[in-house]
Amino acid sequence: MNHDEIVSGLILELRRGTLILLVLSQLKEPMYGYNLVKKLQDNGIPIEANTLYPLMRRLESQGLLKSEWETSEAKPRKYYKITDDGLIVLERVVNHWNNFSQNVNRLLEDNNEK
Amino acid sequence: MKNDLIERYIYAVTKRLPQKVQKDISDELRTLIDDMLVERCGELVPEEKDIRVVLTELGTPEELYEKYNPDNKKCLIGSPYYSTYKYVLKIVMICTIFGIILANIISGIFDFSKSNSIENIVSSSATFIASLITNLIISVGVAFGFVTALFAFFYHKDIKIDTTSNLDSLPSVPKKNEKISKVDSIISIGISVIFLVVFLTAPQIFCIVMYNEFIPIFNLETIRQTWYIIVMFSVVGIIRDVVRLIEGRYSKKVMIITIIANVSSALLAIWWLADDKIINPNISKSMTSLFDENGQFMSNIFSNFQDFFLTIIIFAFMLDMLVTVFKCLKSKEK
Repeated sequence: MNHDEIVSGLILELRRGTLILLVLSQLKEPMYGYNLVKKLQDNGIPIEANTLYPLMRRLESQGLLKSEWETSEAKPRKYYKITDDGLIVLERVVNHWNNFSQNVNRLLEDNNEK
Repeated sequence: MKNDLIERYIYAVTKRLPQKVQKDISDELRTLIDDMLVERCGELVPEEKDIRVVLTELGTPEELYEKYNPDNKKCLIGSPYYSTYKYVLKIVMICTIFGIILANIISGIFDFSKSNSIENIVSSSATFIASLITNLIISVGVAFGFVTALFAFFYHKDIKIDTTSNLDSLPSVPKKNEKISKVDSIISIGISVIFLVVFLTAPQIFCIVMYNEFIPIFNLETIRQTWYIIVMFSVVGIIRDVVRLIEGRYSKKVMIITIIANVSSALLAIWWLADDKIINPNISKSMTSLFDENGQFMSNIFSNFQDFFLTIIIFAFMLDMLVTVFKCLKSKEK
């Protein structure tokens, strides 16, 4: 049995939803894509630019993020920021995450103690 | 050279994306690649090697395109249509192959019976095998394409063909006499395919041997000219039987499709046979002359062979329709 393959598949599934949560939570202040990649990586959340950029674009099309090109700097950059709708969604998902992760952790710890 | 590679990469990613986002994504990628190069090389001017590393890190253009592609229907036929598609395709394929082989064998026998020398038999065999292979390839291709295109259309237009997604609409388990036998439906599809193939490729099969001569029942030239009616006739039948096969029970849907299909088939038959030239005129003459001494009744039938034929067809369709409607209504009452 190839454990590595199964584990990486499971990790990918676990990451998918949490990444959206993280991206939304970090964009209360406007940030450009590569800046966010670096910030997440520095905080132990490795993410590829090729995942984050399309993801931000999708969140924008869902109305959770908005973007603006900043052309006053040397390099034109696209800054993303969370919308009001995004904030409402974020708050609810964060609540859910808190409850859910607490319960998951408690169950996992109970299991370890037995 | 450096810029060329980056631009080629960006172009490869964006060329198939919707026009309205192409420029935006290109600009975004250009800045991103530049940021990644700065991260890698700092103040130094990036070399070709650095660009290659950065672009490799970003993934192949195909991968990146897939991630940017907003179309969530990335396959031709996906869930929940795929399982039904596979099922229908299997049946249509079996029927097509079976029908083609059978039709070719019948037409082959017809050809062989005409050959009277060894050379003729050899050349008939060669023709037989060649036409069998050609017909198989063409019809399997057409059948596959037809079914695939139909389901791709259903999938991309979100046309509902299954009502089992909602708990309340789950159908009750059919009782034994409410079920439509799968074998019946498959045989029926097979017959439609055989009918289609035979009429399109070898209508001369239907013949009567008289005075050591094959007299085709149908007027071959007219049959060839009215090929589209034959195709419509078969397609209507096949659609009706595919619905019956998928439903698997006498339901309202089966009742409606049977009424529509049988009435239109009957109308097509009338359209087809109303033309006096469908039946070979020689056959009526020969038959009439043959039966002249034996009985007026048979002679009458053959002098009006076409009407007789049409009546039988219409009667068969109406009978099938009435039986189906009766069974559907009966199963609904319960």
